[in-house]
Formats: sequence, structure tokens, C-alpha cells
Amino acid sequence: MPEAKRDGREPQGRKPNGGGADRRLEDHAEIGRLSDALLPALIAKLATTRLGELEVREGDWRVRLRRPAAPDLNFGRRATDKPSRAQPGHEGHGHARGAPESAAARTTRLTGVGPGDPATAATVTNGTGAVRAALAAARLAEQDRNVAYSPAVGVFHPGSRAAAGTRVRSGDALGSVDVLGVPQDVLAPADGIVATTLVEGGTAVEYGQELVRLELTAPAERR
Amino acid sequence: MFNKILIANRGEIALRILRACRTLGVEAVVAYSEADRDSLAAQLADEAICIGPADARRSYLSAPAVISAAVVTGCDAIHPGYGFLSEDESFAEVVRAHDLTFIGPSPEVLDRFASKEGTRRLLGAHGLATIPGSPMIRDEQHALDEAERIGYPILIKPSAGGGGKGMRMVRTPRELQSALRVARSEAAAAFGDDSLYLELWLEENRHVEVQVAVDKFGAGIHLGERDCSVQRRHQKILEEAPTPALSPAARLDLAERAVKAVVEAGYENVGTLEFLVDAAGNSYFIEINCRIQVEHPVTEMLTGIDLVATQIRIAAGEHLGIRQSDVVINGHAIEFRINAEDPEHDFRPAAGLIESYQAPGGPGIRMDSHLYPGYEVPPFYDSLLGKLIAWGPDRATAIARGKAALDELDITGVTTNVEIHKALLENEVFLEGRMTTSLLDRVGSAAFLAAAARSA
Repeated sequence: MPEAKRDGREPQGRKPNGGGADRRLEDHAEIGRLSDALLPALIAKLATTRLGELEVREGDWRVRLRRPAAPDLNFGRRATDKPSRAQPGHEGHGHARGAPESAAARTTRLTGVGPGDPATAATVTNGTGAVRAALAAARLAEQDRNVAYSPAVGVFHPGSRAAAGTRVRSGDALGSVDVLGVPQDVLAPADGIVATTLVEGGTAVEYGQELVRLELTAPAERR
Repeated sequence: MFNKILIANRGEIALRILRACRTLGVEAVVAYSEADRDSLAAQLADEAICIGPADARRSYLSAPAVISAAVVTGCDAIHPGYGFLSEDESFAEVVRAHDLTFIGPSPEVLDRFASKEGTRRLLGAHGLATIPGSPMIRDEQHALDEAERIGYPILIKPSAGGGGKGMRMVRTPRELQSALRVARSEAAAAFGDDSLYLELWLEENRHVEVQVAVDKFGAGIHLGERDCSVQRRHQKILEEAPTPALSPAARLDLAERAVKAVVEAGYENVGTLEFLVDAAGNSYFIEINCRIQVEHPVTEMLTGIDLVATQIRIAAGEHLGIRQSDVVINGHAIEFRINAEDPEHDFRPAAGLIESYQAPGGPGIRMDSHLYPGYEVPPFYDSLLGKLIAWGPDRATAIARGKAALDELDITGVTTNVEIHKALLENEVFLEGRMTTSLLDRVGSAAFLAAAARSA
């Protein structure tokens, strides 16, 4: 649940603003910018980590994103997992040392945020901008949902379902990324029709790279 | 020499390794997590590749991700930096299984020095005095018996890891019993290994470490020592060399014994032997760090030897190329670790946007930092923003230059620990070179800051 707040105190160097119309316009512009640029990035970031909460301070705005306690989010959380926040250490020991993850690492899907999605909802707790921010977040989430991303760094191999025109359902494997011989599925983020495959088979790809673009099926067509 | 090196780390050390690669004429690929996409190292690299999400366990700590990145970018070696996978012998082994070179000691050497307790026995057999301690603790009764034999106060230490994590000092058998359980679960959580051992706790001690470099042909040199006694909760915050704790003759003796012991024990590549030095000047070996260390620039300033380049050259199978007589320790250097921490609020780590950044300059000043104005410090990793190193022909000059440089250093946007460094440089105990590892904690950082404010 994201929330944006203006900090009480004025940051240094900021010219005093008498408030009123100028300030409101500035606020609107800022909320718009935050919801267009920052919010989707934060949502994606939160979805790929196991953090429960993320707070970012930008200028005199704070945006906080909190993961709802939804049991169906598949993050492979184990009872022994610790928060990923490293201790403020040095000597590099601050970088927590752990057992190397197996090659067959868990794949984490980005969870889209949109209207009607019961898992998460976007609100900006600052009066006027709330609706706009929610809509902007939803729109951007919708854009993200038509792209299948690389789950790992490796070599991309498109599958048969990656051919243009193929009708796919959310969670279908569109191909795989080969990590040291272990394939990891590239999953369709939503129901739709494959529009284009952005990367040729056999190409090295990095984590998070856009691989397949979908034409989302309109809600009416959904079963 | 290698053709292309994958840098599997972040922050200032990724940048430092990149610079070493440049001077060696080796191409470098920076592996970064999603949270470090805008990092300076990723921007300056010949090539950069995203290996995973912000969570280090799925990026910088993920052996498959790191090795896969090296394979697909055509690298022939991986530099792990410090922390993360740098001392993981199983990682080094997997790296080799993929026909890549791990820049550091070979897997066999890492394995030989993997256990701290085993290393103490090994180097003890090669002539280094070790601190009275126990073997690995089997159970509570075993711990109590060993503690009785060694004598209280006792330090409980995890066999894996370091940096003060999981360490606990106890003064009575009762305290030992309760602390043992906590220390075990902490060690299991932090390092995936819950083995513990006990060590005699030296009430007033100095932390002195010897830098060594040994090539694959058994030729070894020492590059003098560093004093890392200024610590807060077992975390180093300021390092200097030479140590004010020992006479020149004692320093030389310690360094010579250290390099002799590791060469005989079959160590390879750059490494650091840590010693505790008691009030009487006795030194006890405690552990070896088989990697490049945060504070390596102190030694580079004194010797003019590029330790990261040396490390890469040794891993590539080159001869050391210099003899002990070529190593000349010149002057005095102090390193200040600049952390995103708030000294006024119990050193709470800070993250956020760097609004302005201006590094200091002048004779003898070096700043190793990955900051730039507009950089966003991600909240996922450690709080090191950079290292300011001040060199002078003598300690007084190094301190004076350090003071001027700390005043010149400008970082706004996140809270830093710069004030604690300024306070240290006003502190009588530090100025007299009498800092011990527990002093800052005993006096309290707040008192240090307050005393400095009064004298200013």
C-alpha cells in the first residue's frame, strides 16, 4: 500500500513558498511525477524482494510501499529467511554471507497492481492527487503486464508458445533462460496474444530484460 | 593475464577493482543488482550486466547468477571484492569448475584457511602465538569446561563470518550459558553455520593486522601492518599505519613472523593476518582474511604498491616481481570510513538521494568513493559511502591533513558519520595513539561528540 507524504520540515536550500495556488500546482506536478515515475519502480522493486515495506525519500516527499499480508504471494519464503536488509557493517561483512543459491533458483513474478486486484491497492494520502496517482499506477502496471521479463542472467531460448499470434494464459511458459545449464521459465505475466519476441533465441540476456511482448486480451474476452 | 574480468561486487570496491583492471589493460564487466543500475561502477564499466534483484541472496550472493553472468559476457575471471562471495571456498570451486579463475586464493588454499579455529592451530604450528581458546564447542557442558580452563572473561565467536557479527563477551558461567544459545542462532542465521568457539577476552587490546602478498610460486612479502583499533561494536571505523602501539623493531618482527608463517603454511595471494596486541605489546594471532580488505588503501599510500592489481596478477599466475627489500614503508596514513549512519541516533543507517558531493583534495589526500550528486544510496546493502585517506610524512601531518580534508568533504542528502571522525581527531587518547578496541564503546560515541563540541 503506497503512500506519499510531504515531510513536515522544509529541506535546506529550498526557497520558501508562500503556499496557495503555486504550492498546490507544484504538489500536483510532484504527485503526478511520483506516481508516473517512482511508484511503478517501487512496486516492481517490492515485488522482487522479500521486504515487507519500502520507503523512499525524494526531495520533501516520502513514498512508502507496504506489502499486504496476502498468503497467496508466491515468494518462496521460508521460516528461516531473514529480512534482506544487510546489517550496517563494514569489512564487507555487512554484506551478509550466505550459502550460494542453487541454480534452480525460485522464479519470482512481478505482481501487477491494478484496479480490482485484491492483493494490492494504490493510494496516495494527499487529497487531490489520490485518484490520479492510483490511476497512473494502474495504467503503468497494465503496461508492465504485457511484457515477459527474463527471470535470470543467462541464454534465452524461446519456446513454442513464444510465436507471434499464440494465445497464452497468465503463467504459461513462453520459453526459458538457461542459467549454467539449468533452464528457468519465462512466464507470461497475463492472458494475451504474443505480439513480438524482442530477443532472438540463443542470445545472452540479463536479469529483468524484456523478452516477449503480449497483446493483452481485453477483459471481456477473458474466461 | 586475463582478457576480461567480471566484477561481482558493488559500491566503492567495484569501482576500485574497475580502476585496477584499467591500469592492467584488462577489460572489465560490472555485475550489478537492480538496485545498483545507476551505480558509478556500472556507468563507468566497459560493460555492465544485471544479475538479479536488489536482494543480495539473489544477486551478489547467488553463485549461479554471478557465474552465468561471467560465462555469457565471455569473462575468464571473477573478482569477488570483499564480503559477499569473496571468502566462500565452495563458490571458488564452482568458479573453477566453469573454467573461470577466482581472483583470490585457490579453492584448496581457501579451504585450508576456511575455519578460524583450524587456521589458528595451523599458523600456531608455524610459530605465531595465538590467543588462548577452545576447539569447536560441542555442547553446553563442553563450553563451560573450556571456559573454566581458559578463564573469564570469554569471547564467544562464530567459526564462519566475521566483522563482529555473532560475537559475545561473557564474564560468568551463567552468562555463557544464556549467550551460547543466542550466539548459535545468530551464527546460523548470518552465516548458515552455527559452529562456535571460545577465546580469552583481552580487556584492553589493540587490533593490528599484517598485510601479506604471496605468489603461486611461494614467494611472499609483507607490506607492513595497519592499526584498526578504532572500532565501534567490533566494526572498524578508522585505520592507520604504522601502528602507534609498537616500536619499529616490534612492528618489523611481527610482520616478518607473519609472512614466514603463511608462506610455510602454503597461503597464496594477498591476505591479512589479524592480531590482538595487549598492553604489554604481546601479539596474538586471531584470524586471516583471504581477500582484499576495505582498509587496503592505507598500505597502498605507505608503499606505493597497488594491492588490487597485485591480487589480480597473482591470480593470473604471475610472479610477484618484487622482493621484501623493494617494499619501503614511507610516512603515515589514516583512513576514515565514511558511512551513511547517524552518530546522534545510535549510528542508524541512512539511505536516500545524494544532493551534493564534493571530494576533498590536496597533498596526500585520496578519496575512494562511488558517490556522485544525484546518486541514490539504496537501502539494501551496507552503509559505506567511501573512504577518505590522508597521508603525511609523519602522523601529525597525516592528522592535520585528515582534519582539513574532513572539513572539505561535502556530502548532503544523507546523514554521515563525518562528525565522529572529526571528534576522534580532537580526542586526546587518539592523538596520543592509545586507542583500544573497546574504548569508543566504553566512553560512548555521544561523549566523544560532546567533548569535541566543547573543545571546538
